[in-house]
Amino acid sequence: MSGRVDPPVPRSWLAVWLPVWLAGLLLAIAVWEIVATRHAATRVPGDDTWRRAAAVVRAGHQPGDLIVFAPPWVDPVGRMHLGDLIPVEMAGRMDADRYGRIWEVAHAGERAAETAALRPVEERAVGGLVVRRFERTPVEIRADVRELLPQARIAGPGRPTLELAEVGFTPRRCIQVSPPPGQAVRITFALPAGTLVGHAGLADVFTRRDIRAPGTLDVEVGGRVVASVSPGVDDGWVRFAAPIPGGDVTFVARAPAPQRLICFAAEVRP
Amino acid sequence: MIAPRWIGLVLAVMTMAIVVANQHEVGLARDEIVYMQHGARYADWWLGLAKLEHGASRQHITKSFGGPGATDNNREHPPLMKTLFGLSHRLVHKRLGVDEVTAFRLPSAILHGILVGLVFAMVLALWGTAEATVAALLVMFLPRALFHASLAAFDAPIMTLWFATIYAYWRSLDGRKWPWQVGVVFGLALATKHNALLLPFALGLHYLYVGFRAGGLRGLILHRWRVIVSLALLGPLTLVAVWPWLWFDTYAHLRAWLDFHLTHVHYNFEYLGHNWNAPRFPWHVALVTTLFTVPVVTLAGSLVGAGVWISRRVAAPDRARAPGLLLGLSAAASITPFFLGTTPIFGAEKHWMPALPSLCIAAGVGIVWATRALAERLSRRHATAVLGAFAGVIVLAAAVETVTAQPYALTWYNALAGGPPGGADRGMNRQFWGVAARGALPVLAPHAPATGSAPVYTHDASPAWGFYQKLGLLPRSLPDAGHEAAGIERSRFAIVIHERHFNRHDYLIWKSYGTVQPLYVLRARGVPIVSIYKRRPSR
Repeated sequence: MSGRVDPPVPRSWLAVWLPVWLAGLLLAIAVWEIVATRHAATRVPGDDTWRRAAAVVRAGHQPGDLIVFAPPWVDPVGRMHLGDLIPVEMAGRMDADRYGRIWEVAHAGERAAETAALRPVEERAVGGLVVRRFERTPVEIRADVRELLPQARIAGPGRPTLELAEVGFTPRRCIQVSPPPGQAVRITFALPAGTLVGHAGLADVFTRRDIRAPGTLDVEVGGRVVASVSPGVDDGWVRFAAPIPGGDVTFVARAPAPQRLICFAAEVRP
Repeated sequence: MIAPRWIGLVLAVMTMAIVVANQHEVGLARDEIVYMQHGARYADWWLGLAKLEHGASRQHITKSFGGPGATDNNREHPPLMKTLFGLSHRLVHKRLGVDEVTAFRLPSAILHGILVGLVFAMVLALWGTAEATVAALLVMFLPRALFHASLAAFDAPIMTLWFATIYAYWRSLDGRKWPWQVGVVFGLALATKHNALLLPFALGLHYLYVGFRAGGLRGLILHRWRVIVSLALLGPLTLVAVWPWLWFDTYAHLRAWLDFHLTHVHYNFEYLGHNWNAPRFPWHVALVTTLFTVPVVTLAGSLVGAGVWISRRVAAPDRARAPGLLLGLSAAASITPFFLGTTPIFGAEKHWMPALPSLCIAAGVGIVWATRALAERLSRRHATAVLGAFAGVIVLAAAVETVTAQPYALTWYNALAGGPPGGADRGMNRQFWGVAARGALPVLAPHAPATGSAPVYTHDASPAWGFYQKLGLLPRSLPDAGHEAAGIERSRFAIVIHERHFNRHDYLIWKSYGTVQPLYVLRARGVPIVSIYKRRPSR
């Protein structure tokens, strides 16, 4: 060998070790990703676990008990195993306040919105699922406008109907009315005294997409507005409440745009 | 020693084979049926023309390619892939006896193989065999891209033709006298999907950069002017050549094509727990969706690779043609419109998939750069073998994600998101196009009555239902019941393909069937994708 050899160019400590560290990091990420991917693919409880959890619910279930699931996306699987105990009216409930006993079947660590503020009286882990039972004093329902719709007095263009509608991507059994733009539909019920608690929203995702205007629902007693909500296209199922005296209570639905499917439900409670 | 180009060829063929094998389990997409039907018509027209059975009159062309309505004969989409689907069906199915769906989907699979081959070729020329192999494998193991390549649709093919245009443009910058290739390939990209209209933003900016560096202000235009001429002339000419609908009233038909997409309705999609169907959309949809739908190792590798490109830009290969910048601009042109908040996003990552080859190339460069350093530190003597082993482990992670994702890859999310259940927890889009209905067929089929019929409310799978029956996946006694409430009323069975805005179908069925209880819920890695209902016997 002959010739001159160039002296090596000195490299900084960082330049030498950075790629080595990064290689180690990439390898660590790869190993983690392989393990995490396989874990994620198998972590959701299967039908055997669901069957065992459903058996726990069935053993203690009483007519009228509410059954809920968590997280929300597991709802179809829950209904597959326990849907025979969930009447359509219960699935389309206004809210959960009228239910004194609630069963919750949830993935470990998950809770349903209906039970978030409650403490379970019974809790059993079944595989990757947890079955919880909650008990509380249910609210007394003095009147439900949905049941009184056939006797209601209606004024204005548009006929309200009782529907099972999609409002905010949830099922709602509600009175649905579609007032022409700028006109009001008035629906009057004879109700007992108490606190009127209700919810309202806009039904049907496609009309909500195509027409972006809100709808408005006023509650009038003796010509005076005691509650008013104007649910918009992204507001879902909006709550309202107001004390009412016994007598005529009028729900006034109106909208500035066509095809506003205003849906509402309301109950008189103490 | 195997010549590197053979490695690229093997990887390309392997990719094609994987796609063909994978598509057998992938259901028929709603739009795919439309493309198949019209592709068959387009192919017949071309074959008829070649055999001189008919001419190319306005009337003949309109009958197969156009019409007065905006979607007549699917004229809102350019015809290249549809024509190839149709020709493949005529040749591979009717002549060679391959099953019909595979025949329709074969062109997508071949193009996906070509993509892998082109990525390999470009990286090989610029960086080396190891980088090229890893980059090509990372393209092969993109779970969502593999899924889309398994369909007779445009989203995977435009990724190939977009990248082919980038590749041809880069090659054409070598000063060749007749750079016709770039113009023709750009024209084929235009004839595949309207995404190609974004390519001039990447190519234009890149040309200005390399032109200015090479020749100052004069170079802005004259550096490689033939490339510009090729793109500007041969691109549109190729588009017109393969699209008979543009052979007359060209301006009006081009305008109608573009108007359709510029005024496209906003479909529903779910993102971070919210259903979006009207602008403004969050600026970060494309970013987060990509973060959750590309294997984590590929994302991490691409960050390392981008860092290597930037830190070593002075010593980068082929500085005159600035390939790193070109790949960066390619990705940016593809994905940037989705940061605007007004661009329709319904198909999520499929709309910006042309950005992914750049990501994989960066990852290939970054992974090899880092693992080579580690391998040399551990064993200089066996550095190549150690490099192969380390890079193999990294690629394996992408492969595991890809295998896990199929055949319901639209429901799949990567390990960073927590897999499909993590995607559901985060309120990410569940699926679209009704593909998952394919998995419900084995559950429904045994319920077919021996006599008479039991109509099925097929919902988003309605366009594919007849095809499933034709393929023998469903008995004829389970016909499609029809649309919406009237269809549900007629039905004895019903399916709901779970997307958030499709919840309404559940409620319509509950009301009609009097129960909220499905007979069966099909799941992808535990996440519900299809519910099947059975009407209770009337009392």
